[in-house]
Amino acid sequence: MITLQTEFKKIKRKKIGLTMCALIGIQFAWLLWSGSRPDENERLRGWISMLYNLPLVSVIMMPTIMSVLASRLADVEHKGNTYKLLNTLRRPGVLYHAKVVCGTFFILAISIAQFVFVIALGYARGYAGHPEWKHYATAFLLNFACCMSLYLLQLLLSMLFFNQMIPLVAGLGGSMLGLILMYIKMYSFLPWGGFLSAAQVSMDWNPETKVIHFYYREYSPIELCAVFMIFVWIVVFYTAGRILFTRKEV
Amino acid sequence: MPTQNLVETHNLTKQYGKVRCVSAVNMQVPPGAIYGFLGPNGAGKSTTLKMILGLARPTDGSITLFGTPVNEKNRMKLLTQTGSLIESPSYYGHLTGEENLRIIQTLKGCSEKDIDKVLKIVRLNEARGKLVNHYSLGMKQRLGLAAALLGFPKLLILDEPTNGLDPAGIQEMRELICSLPGAYGMTVLVSSHLLSEIDQMADHVGIIRKGELVYQDTLESLHAHAKEQIAIRVSHTAIALDLLRQDGIEAAPEEDYLLLPMMDDAYVANLCRQLVAQNISLYRIEKREKSLEDIFLSLTGKESSL
Repeated sequence: MITLQTEFKKIKRKKIGLTMCALIGIQFAWLLWSGSRPDENERLRGWISMLYNLPLVSVIMMPTIMSVLASRLADVEHKGNTYKLLNTLRRPGVLYHAKVVCGTFFILAISIAQFVFVIALGYARGYAGHPEWKHYATAFLLNFACCMSLYLLQLLLSMLFFNQMIPLVAGLGGSMLGLILMYIKMYSFLPWGGFLSAAQVSMDWNPETKVIHFYYREYSPIELCAVFMIFVWIVVFYTAGRILFTRKEV
Repeated sequence: MPTQNLVETHNLTKQYGKVRCVSAVNMQVPPGAIYGFLGPNGAGKSTTLKMILGLARPTDGSITLFGTPVNEKNRMKLLTQTGSLIESPSYYGHLTGEENLRIIQTLKGCSEKDIDKVLKIVRLNEARGKLVNHYSLGMKQRLGLAAALLGFPKLLILDEPTNGLDPAGIQEMRELICSLPGAYGMTVLVSSHLLSEIDQMADHVGIIRKGELVYQDTLESLHAHAKEQIAIRVSHTAIALDLLRQDGIEAAPEEDYLLLPMMDDAYVANLCRQLVAQNISLYRIEKREKSLEDIFLSLTGKESSL
């Protein structure tokens, strides 16, 4: 707890919260722009369409946001050459864990903000009925899990490399990959494709009538494995990060 | 009862790939000492200190701190009685000096009052509210020392603490280090590649060369080696050596010369008469002075920097 407390003291004046707000603000602007003037049909399918749009926005934006978050948290140590002092005060594993928990607070805040915004936007636009809470809760948990897996991957890179360009490029690359994966198929075993695997809503578009039909996906066994893979990545990246960070000599 | 060394290393070895950086070092730092760990750049000083602090894993050998063999389980507990400044100071540039110390104080679990005390000791009291990014190198170095002093540990490990400081800063740092054992009962293990620096600070010295500890004793003993001698060159070295030894003079041959301990002029004149009386021709009489630098160079190799 004390180590975690110092993590928050260390990032004073780093404006990480503000940076996260700015990045998540882009997501909000995107969501505001898409379907900004809904007609009656769009209002009827509003809540389900939000669950379709959200993973698409996340798959593109979140890898970059997570790389920025991890980089900001790890860079304070690299810049001040502090590991050789900290490692005499705390076990490296404890320091690593504190960074993970500190980042988790930000991810939780981002995820809550995202869903609060989406729900508030739905009500503001006058979507019919109420959100299907079970699906929204599932979407929230899976979105959070995907963010965590990406954050742990980025934290691993940010803590191992002094030059933060490497993890940041990896984050941007992840966003690009997510964009490509979106056009290939709706599930992927790659960590950057987790948002797509976790998406509960799919869509049919009739080119003749130009009518969009949203529906809740029936997961095939392989698609379920892809969802399960999100949690596997969390364990893999956490364990790898902890081992590599603990073994690293400073 | 023999006093227990605060730091002991037993055959401490570190190898990176095929390169052996530290080779079977047996260091012994007595309590209350300022132990100067001296050696040229790249000799293995920092690696040894990092191994003592657990920042690098030894390839072989063991470390004892405060009389307890260090292992992975008790390392952190033993290090709570230790402060360190390795290579360059560690700091968060976007925070003030005081905020930096508050982080270390929280992690060390020592009293908040210590922050004021150490800031006064390193004379950073007035700059405590300034961002560390705006500090000069000397101020950062002093902040690093302040962080090491927090909690007033029993053992302070400082790796080249005067690196990058101007002459006034070096003098200030040196005086500060010298005052620590007397004022706070600390034992200081300080490394440097400068003989003069160690000569002015330390009372014990360990000299490392290419990873091997080639000398370890009190600084007084090292100074004892730096004595004046009389060198004579004669026609029959072996006979002269026998004669001198019969007279109870500790003479030692070195190349074409015989080295004798320092003696007064009358004694030298008498010695010359005796040698000539034995038909030994006297070619040269020289006064030789072996400085601390000569000893250091002979121990570490002439290519080493001072």
